[in-house]
Order: sequence, then C-alpha cells, then structure tokens
Amino acid sequence: MATALIIGYGNPLRGDDGLGQRAAELLEEEFAGADVQVRACQQLTPELAEEVSAAEVVLFIDAAHDSPPGEFRCRRLEADSRASASFAHALEPEALLAAAHALYGRCPDAALLSVGGEHFGHTASLSSTVEQALPALLEMARFIITGYTA
Amino acid sequence: MAREIAIDPVTRIEGHAKVTIHLDDDGQVEDARFHVTQFRGFEKFCEGRPLHEMPAITARICGICPVSHLIASSKACDMLLAVGIPEPARKLRRLLNLAQILQSHALSFFHLSSPDLLLGMDAPEQERNVFHLFSSHPDLARDGIRLRKYGQQIVEWLGGKRIHPAWVVPGGVSRPLSEKLRDRMLEGLPEAREVTLRTIQAYKNLTEDFREEIRSFGNFPSMFMGLVTPQGNLETYDGRLRFMDAQGDIVADQVPGSDYRDHIGEAVEPWSYLKFPYYKPTGYPDGIYRVGPLARMNIVDACGTPLADEELAEFRELQRGPALSSFHFHYARLIEILFCVERIEQILNDPDILGQRVRAQAGPNAAEGIGVAEAPRGTLIHHYRADENGLIQQVNLVIATCHNNLAMNKSVRQVARRFVSGDALDDGALNRVEAVVRAYDPCLSCSTHAAGRMPLHLQLIGPDGALLDEAKRG
Repeated sequence: MATALIIGYGNPLRGDDGLGQRAAELLEEEFAGADVQVRACQQLTPELAEEVSAAEVVLFIDAAHDSPPGEFRCRRLEADSRASASFAHALEPEALLAAAHALYGRCPDAALLSVGGEHFGHTASLSSTVEQALPALLEMARFIITGYTA
Repeated sequence: MAREIAIDPVTRIEGHAKVTIHLDDDGQVEDARFHVTQFRGFEKFCEGRPLHEMPAITARICGICPVSHLIASSKACDMLLAVGIPEPARKLRRLLNLAQILQSHALSFFHLSSPDLLLGMDAPEQERNVFHLFSSHPDLARDGIRLRKYGQQIVEWLGGKRIHPAWVVPGGVSRPLSEKLRDRMLEGLPEAREVTLRTIQAYKNLTEDFREEIRSFGNFPSMFMGLVTPQGNLETYDGRLRFMDAQGDIVADQVPGSDYRDHIGEAVEPWSYLKFPYYKPTGYPDGIYRVGPLARMNIVDACGTPLADEELAEFRELQRGPALSSFHFHYARLIEILFCVERIEQILNDPDILGQRVRAQAGPNAAEGIGVAEAPRGTLIHHYRADENGLIQQVNLVIATCHNNLAMNKSVRQVARRFVSGDALDDGALNRVEAVVRAYDPCLSCSTHAAGRMPLHLQLIGPDGALLDEAKRG
C-alpha cells in the first residue's frame, strides 16, 4: 500500500467543483512512481475506506462552498462519523476516516486542502480565481507528502 | 378534523421525494402518497442532438446507474444505425451490465437497507445508519464494501472509469477486452461468490424478525414485468418482455421491446414528477405492475445458473404463486447478485469475450430506435426518433423506477395504514414508511431524470388540508 494517498473529488462538469480531480491529475503526473497513490473521483464512497486505512497520510482535495472564492485553506481532519449521518452514497472526509477506523482498525493522518469556488455552473473549466489559487494548493500538497515519503 | 403527515425528505434513497399521509376525522390513515419533487427534463433537451451523443448524454441522468442508460441508449442507437453489433461487443455489454447490477444491488442492500434490517426498524434514528452498522456488524460491512468494489472495478476496467464510462457506443463498444484484464476479473470471482452466499444465509436467518413487515410491506396482488430469454429464463441485456398476473399466469410473453407501447401506457398526476406507467389492456390505475428483482424472480422459469437456481427454488417456497410482498425485494436482490457473479464467470470464460471486432460502423439508417435492457431497478426503455441526418427529434424514456410508481404509492398507503395513526409520527412508524420505499430501491435521479440524492419529506395532513406534523431528513 502507498504511504500517501491523495483523493481529489468533485464533479468536473460543474465548474470549480472540478478542482479536486484537476489537482489530483496534476499531482499524479508529478508523483508517478513514488510511494503515492492518487485517486480522482466524483465523490467519497465507503469503498475507499480500506485504502485510506492503509495509508500513512491522506490528502483530500475539494472545492469549498463556504469560503471566499479563491481562498486556499488547509485543515487537519479527525475521524467523525457524525459528518455523514444521513449517508446515501457519498461521504464527508471525516466520515470516511471514521469508516476506515471502524472497519479496518486504523485512521491515518489526514488533511483537507480546499479552495473557495466561484462558479459551480455547467462548465468543464475552472474559474480564473480558482486557477490562480491552484499553485498554492499544489505546493502545500507537495510539502505534506514529501514530509511522509522523504 | 382530517389531517396530513409529511415525511420530507425520504432518506437513504436516490433523489428527492416526500410522503404525505392524509388522516380522516377519526385520526385514521385515509390516503398516502409518494411524491417525487424534482425534474430535469432530459426528454426535451435531447431533441436536436446527434444520435451518437445520446449514450453519453443520457448516462448523465444518473451517477448511480449510468451504465444502464449507456446500454439502453446504445441499443436504441444500434437500431437507428440498423446494425447488428459484433458478438464480442454484445457479450462485453452484457458483462458491463451484470457488473453494474451487482454493484448497485450491493449498495442498496449493504448500505441503504441493512441499517433497517440489522439494527431494527425501531432503533433510534440517530443510530439507524451505516456507521452504527460499521460498529455492530463490521464483517458484513466489509463484505458489502468488497462486493460493491468488485462490481465497480469491472465497470472501471471495461469503461475506463467507475462513473460515466464512455466505452459503450452505438454499434458496439469502443475497444476490446485484454486477456490481462479478463484474468484480473476472474481473480475476484471466488471472493465475490463467497461473500454473496454468506450474505444470503445471514439474510435468511434474520427474516423471522420481520414477519409483520413481510405481511404489510407492499403485500398486494399486482402484475409483474421483465425481460426473459427465449427459454423463459432470467435476462438482463437482450430478451423479450414477459407480463405475469398476480396469480402467476403469464398474460403476455416474448413481447419485443420495440412493441412496449402496445402493452404499457403512461399516466401523469399533478402531485408528482414521476410518471405512472400501467398495463394498457387493464387500464389506469388498475393496470399496476412491478418490475425489478422481485418481478424478475417471479416471472422467470429459471435463473439459468446453478447456485442462483438453488436459491430461486427456496424463494419460490415463500408463497404459492408469485411472491407478493415488496419486502422480498431484498431477498430477490441478493439472489440476483449471485446470478450476476455466476454469469460474469460464464462470460469471462467464453473465448469470444476477447474478440477484437467490437464495433459496427454505419450512418443513420432508420427513423426510430428502441433500446430495452434490465437495469438494477427494473426494465429500462429508451425510445428515440431521428431525422435522416441522425438528429434526434423525439425522446421517450421509461425508467425502471417509474414502472414501480403505482406500486410504491400503494405500498406507502398500506404501511401507513398499518403503522401510522393519531396526530403525530413515532419514529418507528415513520421509518417503516421510508423502509418500504427503500425496498424498491428507487432511483429518482433516473426516473425524473433529475440530479441529486434522495432525502425524504413526510407530511401528516388533516381532512381540511391542515398540516398536522412533518419530518424532514437528509
């Protein structure tokens, strides 16, 4: 299993919601061959719990609805099953960590890297505001991953 | 004074819906309705699009069952091209559909319904969720995750990604299957079979605790419909339609999918975006029929695979004639998972599956195309008309969940009458109303062609229309 797991998620057909997958693709190219596993997906599902439990560190990358457009944030995450109490088929990252712990007995270090989105309409492009914030997010991802894989 | 109860939103289903329960002057349930409250209108905005775009566009109807739409749409487009697709492509599409049914059924059983079944209908709402299941039944939860992952992995390997794969195209599929991927798929089969058999046994052990629910969860006479092979066996990709009545008599058989309009009418009601299909010869609303796992297990002569047929024999002991309780959707769903595992193995061991000719090329050659396949939730119909340039002029989609609309409404009414009374909702009663909806595993994103997951809103309404009580969740 990989030391670091990067999960970029969101809908690439809904403007800035595609940030997570876009960042994941860029990081996958950069870390190809390293001890880093990268997943790009539309949403977080319980099927990811086993991989999450096996990693030393997990970085979740998502667009944020609740922070100013273009603002980059990095937040340490703790497992919390209450984060998706009405689970249908998608999970919050804290809930996925809780699932990893409950089912596989291990919860890795984890952080959420996010950028406040500006447009979530029907387009496959990121807004220029989010594009400009992307390098800071990638730099933070590199910094964290290198700390675990160096 | 008559009153109304509302459950809004219904939880642990796909899409948005609410249930209203109408009380009479004595506080007894007079009526109950399952309302679907979202709309997107794919049938309209697909008009004018080139036929080759249709599979990719209609797959966006749903993030849960895009494969079903890809397949039905591509079959409709095959007909517009007037081509017979190469045999390897037909088998590969069938394989993809089976993997989709497997993973979707696993989601429905393990993640959406098992909190009710394993933690109990009366468990406190804050505990009756998948996270408490992770703690109380971790082995079963891990089994569910692994089984669904296996189905999703096949979809991803074939289609290139788990959600919205663009591999199924008019005329066939876009690339053949490699031997390496075929072997990786085969590697996962023993575990999938073992998990499925273990889960079926666990399910059978707990049904004793649900005798009352089995008696009252959508337990009524209705017709059943689904695809069957020429021999009358379970079919998910090709086949023809069979209609069975509540006594188990086959009233129409080997009906070509393209003749669906001779047998199925579609009604609308002002209080729901979900259409109400009915069996045309009987009329609306008496022509109520059910589709999906329960219907398929009722109508077939056999599954056609050894282990699934053993289970089908036990299923048939539930009742003389067709199993009428919608609670048995759960058991039927598990038998179908087993069938999928066995059929996947048969197909992967067929040398044809590695054939390199997988796509027929043609331009528009017909004005009308109708594609029919079995989706996880039942029979899915895509019906297109196109002009001489292959531009779509008209679209009609009859979605699996729509076929069950009359039955879901009748089931909600039955459960409400059995479990709800008085001015307020107790949590166990409310949950049973939701649980009977979950038994059908409705996909409202598909059936209204609308986006999103499905929370539910329940309202209790008095005879004067006053809102007495309501619950919103999700």
